[in-house]
Amino acid sequence: MSDSSKFSHVAQQYLDGQPGPETLDPAERAGADRLLRAVESYAAGLRAPGPELDAAVMRRVRAEGLTPQSPWWSWIVAPHTIRVRPAVLALAASLALVVWWTASGARGRSGAGAAETVLVRFQLAAPDAHDVSVSGSFNGWSPPGIALRRSVVPGLWVVTLPLPVGEHQYLFRVDGTQWVVDPGAHAQVDDGFGRTNSVLVVGPRGVFGP
Amino acid sequence: MGESGSQPDGDIVRRVLEGEVELFGVLVERYRAEFARYATALVGDPDRASDAMQEAFIRAYRSLASCRDLKRVKAWFFRILTNQCHDQRTRRRRETSLEGHDQPARDRADAQVLQAELARAIERALDRLTPEQREAFVLRHVDGKSYEEMAALLGTGVDALKMRVYRARDALRQQLEHLHE
Repeated sequence: MSDSSKFSHVAQQYLDGQPGPETLDPAERAGADRLLRAVESYAAGLRAPGPELDAAVMRRVRAEGLTPQSPWWSWIVAPHTIRVRPAVLALAASLALVVWWTASGARGRSGAGAAETVLVRFQLAAPDAHDVSVSGSFNGWSPPGIALRRSVVPGLWVVTLPLPVGEHQYLFRVDGTQWVVDPGAHAQVDDGFGRTNSVLVVGPRGVFGP
Repeated sequence: MGESGSQPDGDIVRRVLEGEVELFGVLVERYRAEFARYATALVGDPDRASDAMQEAFIRAYRSLASCRDLKRVKAWFFRILTNQCHDQRTRRRRETSLEGHDQPARDRADAQVLQAELARAIERALDRLTPEQREAFVLRHVDGKSYEEMAALLGTGVDALKMRVYRARDALRQQLEHLHE
């Protein structure tokens, strides 16, 4: 060993529990063993937090009414909750169009060939509904659609889905009969059969990520 | 935890974001069990380690929506926790030097004197390591993790982690030699 303050490579291997200790100098081996004993003593005396910590964390979560915060920019590109009222639908759609043009920008709208998927949160305020689902181009519009679950927020239905980057058309279905556009979508378009679909553009940087 | 106990971390995060707040407790239990010893060794004080863990969980919860890669939730939380532990250790060192005495993270009431001395030498030596060396050494020798497991958590290559552990051992060896002089 050329430097007495450092372990040789063989000693380092020995400390890692690898084979080859027979070539280790006895004095250095003693030093390595001393280190291992010291660490063992140290580790044996550690008093780590136990399950009481779990309860303390969850008390704080409940007591402070904490909610996971979305990044500020998710408000630009994420669908929002707006109560479905025909009178304001046109205004909401106009606003959504502006947001859509702003958010999509130069990122392009084609998702063809894009392997990246992004988590997208769908939500709809439907206080009187018994069940809500969502169907769209991402699931082949197949009935009965993907079920939303009741949020802790009264009247709000939510589901988070992994969607590929690109443009998606979709609709909510309330109580299995009523098709409802998403007032918070990026845009609403005519599907060519007299019905209006909501449009969501998932960018390569996604809804949750910059 | 029933069904939730075997669910992937990413699925739990998704459900918490959808409003199932109580499911966050599954992650808390899971990560506390895995990282409590690491946090305690890294901070050097059990009470401060508890504070660091609580703060890390609350910060993780508040920023859950910014966890972009749901396959790497554990590594994401590990980084938050490690930063909290470094902060707590820095505070502890500052306050300990003001108070003029040490408050080690161990219950030495029943320990042998020599073992206690060895352990104290380790505690002192850990203070002299860089944060990166300390993380690597604790993961390897206190938690018993493999280099591959460490690489997955830290996002660092195995060779670089070996170098950190090797240097940490050399520094600790010097401290132990002083003890026996």
